[in-house]
Amino acid sequence: MQHSHWDIFCAVVDNYGDIGVTWRLARQLASEHGIEVNLWVDDLRSFGHILPALDPKLPCQMVEGIRVLQWNTPLDLPYVAGEVLIEAFACELPDEVKQAVRDAATPPCWLNLEYLSAEDWVEGCHGLPSFQPGGINKYFYMPGFSAATGGLICETGLFEARAAWQTDSSNKMALFQKLGLGGIQAEDKVISVFSYETEALPALCELWSEGQQRVHALIPKGRSFNSLKALLPCPVEALTPGQRIELGMLTLHVLPMTDQQGYDRLLWSCDFNIVRGEDSFLRAQWAARPFIWHIYQQEEDYHLVKLEAFMQLYCDNLASEIAECWRNLNLSFNQQQATAVQQHWQYMDSHAVPLLAHARQWPIDALKTTDLATRLVQFVKNSLR
Amino acid sequence: MKTAHEIRPGNVIMFNDAPWVVQKTETTRSGRNAAIVKMKLKHVLIDSSTETTFKGEDKMDVIVLERLDCTYSYFNDPMYVFMDAEYNQYDVEAENVGDAAKFIVDGMEDTCQVTFYEGKAISVELPTTIVREVGYTEPSARGDTSGKVMKPAKLVGTDIELMVADFVKEGDKIEIDTRTGEFKKRV
Repeated sequence: MQHSHWDIFCAVVDNYGDIGVTWRLARQLASEHGIEVNLWVDDLRSFGHILPALDPKLPCQMVEGIRVLQWNTPLDLPYVAGEVLIEAFACELPDEVKQAVRDAATPPCWLNLEYLSAEDWVEGCHGLPSFQPGGINKYFYMPGFSAATGGLICETGLFEARAAWQTDSSNKMALFQKLGLGGIQAEDKVISVFSYETEALPALCELWSEGQQRVHALIPKGRSFNSLKALLPCPVEALTPGQRIELGMLTLHVLPMTDQQGYDRLLWSCDFNIVRGEDSFLRAQWAARPFIWHIYQQEEDYHLVKLEAFMQLYCDNLASEIAECWRNLNLSFNQQQATAVQQHWQYMDSHAVPLLAHARQWPIDALKTTDLATRLVQFVKNSLR
Repeated sequence: MKTAHEIRPGNVIMFNDAPWVVQKTETTRSGRNAAIVKMKLKHVLIDSSTETTFKGEDKMDVIVLERLDCTYSYFNDPMYVFMDAEYNQYDVEAENVGDAAKFIVDGMEDTCQVTFYEGKAISVELPTTIVREVGYTEPSARGDTSGKVMKPAKLVGTDIELMVADFVKEGDKIEIDTRTGEFKKRV
């Protein structure tokens, strides 16, 4: 008899990106679709940073209804083929798993969940089979923004929860207090920063420090601070969560690590978010706030093609003047153009109201009617038919 | 074994004991520099085609079939006719020529490789690099010399448009990578 569970394999590459998306998907499959999910992760320690309830020392444990398993090489926990097998972000499955799939009387529906992209080609690859040894097909599942793609990860009720949070400004003040971020007044501008290293960041900090309004930049220890070494009183390693660095009108706050729900609320509570990778990029969109996407750098600047493709979609219903301003801001940030990013930030500040209105409408337009998990469940049903 | 990234139109790959001729490949970049290769395959023995997708690093068996160096002779719809050094002619179905067809022009002297399966010419492979003349392109708009600014151009003898460096002019000869269909450099 075939087991009905789903297995998801995730290799942690950049601490929180791949596992962030995978964990959200696993939770949604379990909580909203009643699916028994086994999540195999090769680095439980990193995973534990966004999931404090996880014990990285345990090879197998139940967390929030998901069975989390340590993926060692070679695999030292038994894999039993279930209804679905997902390799997240093209990770290479263990040989034992591939062999078990070939040996299974009824092979699982095998999927490669790919990275999110707004490029046109995604539609042409979504759902295509990939020949595998033993006559088994693996399907490429491509997340995306159009109906012909696999959709976007978004939990049911997320937008309602976010709207309720943003309606009452005491929520954000309470959150800042809880995170140990002192000195923030309700009228101050608050910006979350989660980027890779870039020259654009010190340039923006310089601008904010010399501005008319008090600005608070909330930055977790890590790669963003590597770009701000010249502004720090101590080495990056010596920074402690809650620490504040005053630079004129700007205060840099060392943000403590939070779980995914905490990070969502942080994004909801800030006036502007600088995000990176895939998971935080999507959560920034769902936060209904203006943002900069610091996209993962690719060879030959191919990341700029991906950025352009997204910006074209995002700006489709945006007045051309504001769209150009927002596009220039994102491009200059991603191209590390210090002077240009300052100019575009100032210009964007003068369009803050329509940009915020667009940021509020965008999630509704982008998600349309169904999310990735729902479409994925339907895709599996159709594939197994 | 070759990776999907290395597979070219004209290759014949084995899957589940069946030979498939690769008619078209399209490489795109996913996240973290990973490649996705979409292929159009045609079964060599039966009338069956499929579109399929691979990770760039997926390995597959490329079967070594008899191959002959040939030059393009003429088009006899729906067959492309190639000729070897001894003037033997071989017909290759246009469908099996795939994307390479757009670079086939009358009078071309490139040495192509025709592949045979059980005595039948089933596909043709162009050289990795070919040289073609630019028939039409707009004059340089920006005086760019870096080669990073691109503009569309049409080649002599074909309606195919490809992107070339901004400094390329009408009448220039350019190198094209037949695997990707992309401009490489001005000759």
